[in-house]
Amino acid sequence: MESPRYPDRYDLRKRRSQWVAFALFRVFSLFIAFVLFAILGFIIYKGVGVISWDFLTEPPTDGMTSGGIFPAIVGTLLLMLGSAIVAFPVGIMSGIYMNEYASRGWLVRFIRLMTNNLSGVPSIVFGLFGMALFVKYLGFGDSILAGSLTLGLLSLPLVIRTTEEALKDIPSSYREGSLALGATKLQTIWKVILPMGMPRIITGLILSLGRVSGETAPILFTCAAYFFPQLPSSIFDQCMALPYHLYVISTSGTDIEAQQPIAYGTALVLIAIILVVNLLAGGMRRYFENRLKTK
Amino acid sequence: MVKFIESELVQLRREVDQMWTLVYNQMDQARQAVMTLDRQLAQQIVVRERRVDAFELKIDSDVEDFIALYNPVAVDLRFVLAILKINSDLERIGDYADGIARFVRDIDVQEIDDRLLQDLQVDTMFTLVLNMLEELQEAFNEEDAEKAAAVLGMDDQLDRIKRASGGILIDYAKHNTDAIPLCFEFGGVFRKLERTGDHLTNIAEEIVFYIDAKVLKHNDSQEKSDKKSPEGKK
Amino acid sequence: MKKIEVKEVDFYYGKFHALKHISMEVEQNDVVAFIGPSGCGKSTFLRLFNRMNDLIPGSRLTGQVLIDGRDIYAPGVEIDRLRKEVGMVFQRPNPFPKSIFDNVAYGLRVNGIRDKSFIAHRVEEALKGAALWNEVKDKLKASAFALSGGQQQRLCIARAMAVSPSVLLMDEPASALDPISTAKIEELIRELKKEVTIIIVTHNMQQAARVSDRTAFFYMGEMVECGETKMIFTNPSKEATQNYITGRFG
Repeated sequence: MESPRYPDRYDLRKRRSQWVAFALFRVFSLFIAFVLFAILGFIIYKGVGVISWDFLTEPPTDGMTSGGIFPAIVGTLLLMLGSAIVAFPVGIMSGIYMNEYASRGWLVRFIRLMTNNLSGVPSIVFGLFGMALFVKYLGFGDSILAGSLTLGLLSLPLVIRTTEEALKDIPSSYREGSLALGATKLQTIWKVILPMGMPRIITGLILSLGRVSGETAPILFTCAAYFFPQLPSSIFDQCMALPYHLYVISTSGTDIEAQQPIAYGTALVLIAIILVVNLLAGGMRRYFENRLKTK
Repeated sequence: MVKFIESELVQLRREVDQMWTLVYNQMDQARQAVMTLDRQLAQQIVVRERRVDAFELKIDSDVEDFIALYNPVAVDLRFVLAILKINSDLERIGDYADGIARFVRDIDVQEIDDRLLQDLQVDTMFTLVLNMLEELQEAFNEEDAEKAAAVLGMDDQLDRIKRASGGILIDYAKHNTDAIPLCFEFGGVFRKLERTGDHLTNIAEEIVFYIDAKVLKHNDSQEKSDKKSPEGKK
Repeated sequence: MKKIEVKEVDFYYGKFHALKHISMEVEQNDVVAFIGPSGCGKSTFLRLFNRMNDLIPGSRLTGQVLIDGRDIYAPGVEIDRLRKEVGMVFQRPNPFPKSIFDNVAYGLRVNGIRDKSFIAHRVEEALKGAALWNEVKDKLKASAFALSGGQQQRLCIARAMAVSPSVLLMDEPASALDPISTAKIEELIRELKKEVTIIIVTHNMQQAARVSDRTAFFYMGEMVECGETKMIFTNPSKEATQNYITGRFG
């Protein structure tokens, strides 16, 4: 066979474009990292000065121009917990249902479409809906309960999605293996599928918590207090929350100049919480994966 | 893979065909040597016998390679097994041609009585053997089981001629005492030709064995009912 | 009585006619190999025997599949009970993310057996039966994932055997394994046939030839030929079978 005539110096061009492409990819990736570090660095630079034990453990004083952010931290943690209680069982069970029980058919496609749409709804709309339903109609008032429910709804699509994805990636041979031994579907899910999907489900849950902790809009009308220095005593109390606190003192504070360091301190604490939650997610994931491998 | 195995089989088939032609020529020349008492020709046959042996070894080792590398089954397996056996049969026939040539080369007479040759039907025997060889070669190349089976009967005539030859030679020797060594040696030629016939019969059976199943398989509808019975028996 | 009888079975996935009018019989303690090109229906057919195809929506079966004389597709048949009777081993080893012990005990536990000493006894028996006991007896609590591929597959065989089935279905059980592990599985099949009737789907013709008593050749949803393995591999009665086993397909 006659060998084709290769164009002259084509190899060189090939290698050159390869090099250029890689260089571009590298530059863009580094750019992203740089932006992230810039934001982080900026917040730390501005906020680290106000961080102190008192700042973390005292309520705000003097019209929120001094003092700490303790109630806001507690409020955020409470809302995270509350939304988790609302979203996790419902979300995980929906995810299981959609992937294990009815993975084909129009109903599931419809539910999936709806959850996808739900995750595209702006969070302020959730806030509005929460206010209408929980605060007004059900009469919970501005409360941790209403806020948790709203945030729970907000994180539901994410929880369903991650559960579904986690289960979808488990090869069907494991299901068949269990069923072939005479196990029922429920036994199969409970004893084989869920343990296998756990690392990824947990990661998804924790990431959704991180997202919840940073949301402002949904709690705007449902829960968050402008100023509520004492700790809430029941789920029907209002509470402060970090993102809302940040918003308030940066936009409508009594003395924005004086409150600026507090705002940066608050931002830093919020970012730290989210960071911790994300690291926790990673850690949990590794823990569960190891347990699967070596138990 | 299909192409590989096919081309290997074609190669084996070609080798066996060449071996066949070689052996045929040996036997054909052995006949000439006997009929004309040509010692030079006989010597050539003896020399060429080494080629026949070498060819046999080559086919053997090629078959071995083929079995090891291609794990043949069904018709392929039967084919190479048949080749293996046909190969050794052909080699034995080559040996007989060689033996006959040695007889011609070493016999200490100037001439064989034409009458004796005619009575013995040596030429007929050679013709039969050569015919069978040729027919079988064609049957093998054309995968024609019927043609191969037709050869099976021709063997009987060889046996008859051979049986008769003993008496004729003894008679001849009685009347020509100086021809006793010749007659004694000549008996060997008949034995060899008769044995050649046995090997040719074997070859015919091998060919039928390897082709048979394949031929049956071409008429599916009929053998559907035929083949069901052994299954049902179990 | 035959161990398994299939009577004029047709099977459909929706409109796709996956198995066409198949009838066959399997003797007790025989090993039957199913061979045929991909998509010929042999795996589908295998999965009829423990009703694994039930999982596929839109599948439909006509005809009868009898095991020990009882139609497993008759109304009122409890599928989980059937699956205890008819074990299955899959193409890829699929041990559960549990310890070796718990893997083998799984089938017993999901079927309601709680007696610890009985479970321990059966697990040991099953592991011995799968020629795995000596390799794992000191690490029963270790994760099944720590085993090699071949060991995992033998674990899956032990797991299936632990519930004492009378039929074992094997869907290309050695196709993901190296030759030595494959040889072990094949050896195991010869051992196991003393206890169970085995149906094995395989793409490896030599494997079918080595381990099975009878071989069935499938093509395009039809069972072209079923007969003694020796017959199939020396003198198959159908040209299609011959073309397939000699590698001259299509």
